[in-house]
Amino acid sequence: MFSKTIFKQTLKSNWKLWAVFTGIMAVMSALVIAVFDRKMISSMMNMVKNMPGIADIIGDRMDSMTSVLGLLGQSFYSLQGIILGLIFVIMTANSLVASQVDKGSMAYLLSTPIKRSKVVRTQALYLISSVLCMFLIVTSVGLVTVQVAHHGLWAEEYTADVKAAAQVLDLSDETVAGDLTLILADDDAVTSGAEARGIDKDVYTTYLGLKMAENAGVEQPGIPADQMEKIQASFMAGITAAAEVLDVDASDLATDMGKIKNSDAAMTAAVDASGLPKELFVTIVNGQLANDELTLDQGIEFSVKDYLLLNLGAFLLLFALSSISFLFSCVFNLSKNSLMLGAGIPIAFFLFQIMSQVGSSLEDFKYVSLNTLFAPGDITGGGTFWPQFAVLAALGVVLYTVGVEVFKEKDLPL
Amino acid sequence: MPLIEIESVTKDYGEGRGNFDVSLSIEKGEVFGFVGTNGAGKTTLIRQMMGFLKSDKGHIRINGLDAWSQSADIKKLVGYVPGEIAFPDAPTGTEFLRRQAELLGLTDMTYADYVTAKLQLDPTANLKRMSKGMKQKTAIVAAFMADSEILIMDEPTTGLDPLMRAEFVDILTDEKAKGKTMFMSSHMFEEVEDTCDKVALIKDGRIIAVKSTLEIRHNQDKVYKVEFTSAEDYKLFLAEAFEYSEQREDQNQVLVNVHDRDIDRFLHVLKDYHIKFITEIKYSLEKYFKSLY
Repeated sequence: MFSKTIFKQTLKSNWKLWAVFTGIMAVMSALVIAVFDRKMISSMMNMVKNMPGIADIIGDRMDSMTSVLGLLGQSFYSLQGIILGLIFVIMTANSLVASQVDKGSMAYLLSTPIKRSKVVRTQALYLISSVLCMFLIVTSVGLVTVQVAHHGLWAEEYTADVKAAAQVLDLSDETVAGDLTLILADDDAVTSGAEARGIDKDVYTTYLGLKMAENAGVEQPGIPADQMEKIQASFMAGITAAAEVLDVDASDLATDMGKIKNSDAAMTAAVDASGLPKELFVTIVNGQLANDELTLDQGIEFSVKDYLLLNLGAFLLLFALSSISFLFSCVFNLSKNSLMLGAGIPIAFFLFQIMSQVGSSLEDFKYVSLNTLFAPGDITGGGTFWPQFAVLAALGVVLYTVGVEVFKEKDLPL
Repeated sequence: MPLIEIESVTKDYGEGRGNFDVSLSIEKGEVFGFVGTNGAGKTTLIRQMMGFLKSDKGHIRINGLDAWSQSADIKKLVGYVPGEIAFPDAPTGTEFLRRQAELLGLTDMTYADYVTAKLQLDPTANLKRMSKGMKQKTAIVAAFMADSEILIMDEPTTGLDPLMRAEFVDILTDEKAKGKTMFMSSHMFEEVEDTCDKVALIKDGRIIAVKSTLEIRHNQDKVYKVEFTSAEDYKLFLAEAFEYSEQREDQNQVLVNVHDRDIDRFLHVLKDYHIKFITEIKYSLEKYFKSLY
């Protein structure tokens, strides 16, 4: 079926290119994971929301960026990872067959007692396994980065406060996480839990309340909108006053309200300026801080399964794209013709995909792009993706098979 | 049964290119030359023999195996020198030869080393920086190293200097003595005349003639060029009963066709004339083929 000798020789003359691309891709994806910071992304999102033009372009993608996987899906697995993988695939597919026929060096492979079909199948095997290994390495490096940069939270099901509280309560993590009222019922547990999170007890209590409501799937009882607006306006006035006292930007303070609680002077100024009762003001601040904690929990929630699926999808997309490049590499005897279609079509797919995302008027372009079948948002956001994966896999298998058959039967100018 | 049997093979590329109804048979142990001008269809036939091209019509059998469908099995018996020298990516000639040996399943490199030494090739040089001649030598070593029974060579002497060409002919002679069958194309008549047992001439994709070089070398119909000192002698001689293929009055020269059995009579007649010089015009393959063009 395959020739071990040819595989070894192909590996020898192609591994450097593979190593360079794999290295760059692994570093890029690791960087995205490492620099991920929930708070930074949130403030960036708030900024963007205020710019209608850009907000329109980014659209739905904004919300999905607020988790590691969401961000990876919108950056690495939509752009850098795909385009780098594609360039590697295009170059390798052409050099494996068409370029060797064009140069004439294929004569040396085919003047040996190794069947033509075996030669071309081995080249196909190299291309497929090089893409597979590429994503295996990117995935492994990514997992290690998550572990290192985000303190291994991805592997643990329980947050630090739950663990600390569980220790105080002398219960298992699982029990405590399943019933957070256990923490609330014990003052020591609340203290250690708050400590573990690095927030004060009031905020922690509020956080626990919100977390329980979230776990139970209960919506918080809302304050009537007009009243809410009034309170918000007063509250913002308070923040502005506190910012002056603390000598920081009001917008910075809004994303880091813990500072107000730490300064009596700021608190007094804020309460005075807002005209709200101090109790209410503190409650709102606590609520905001608790909310921040809650979103932090989401940010570090890292589903290994989703991450693996993301990589599987990217691999299948590149597998399908590589089959296009490989097919044309098998069909044509000249590199330039092989590249014209073998590189042109996959690059066109990539560009169509990008165009379809730029604005709604160009959205129809997604129907003429293979890349649409790999939608990171559907994987991380709970959409359907298995049928698309199946199509990519099937297409790849078919085109590789056709490529091998064409090469077996065609005339070679060697 | 001939070792290589080519039966009315046609590969039509359109516009008169390719080859048409080519039939040849090469016996075991024979060195077969294949001559023609550039674009006459030599390389096409070699590619058909190697199973790189599928013939439109007819078939080629090597050792009883079909050149297209059983090509991989045939390669066990065949060494090949391609017409175009383009090597796979390998840093040095040595590394290329080592990899090629690996593909051929060859573990014994003594014969490769012998041919390398014979051609005075230094294979340790960077493959890409090699001169044309060095590349050609490397290609020859790659084809010969498996000590295959059959050698198919597409213009194997291109790029070789005259000394190396002589070495190459030496190697061919050795191979022939070992009973190898060789098929080589060339656009040089002298080369094939020196090395081959049989030569086929191809023109515009069709075989025009197949001639044994032995026949050429032992040809008994000889041509002599005679120049007379005076115009009178020249004119008188023309009245003799010989076959004149050319008369050059301005130089007092005449070309006479004389079969070996008439040589005695020819010399006797000449005795009575004053001649400036006499020389035999060597009959060559080139002359023979040119007469057919």
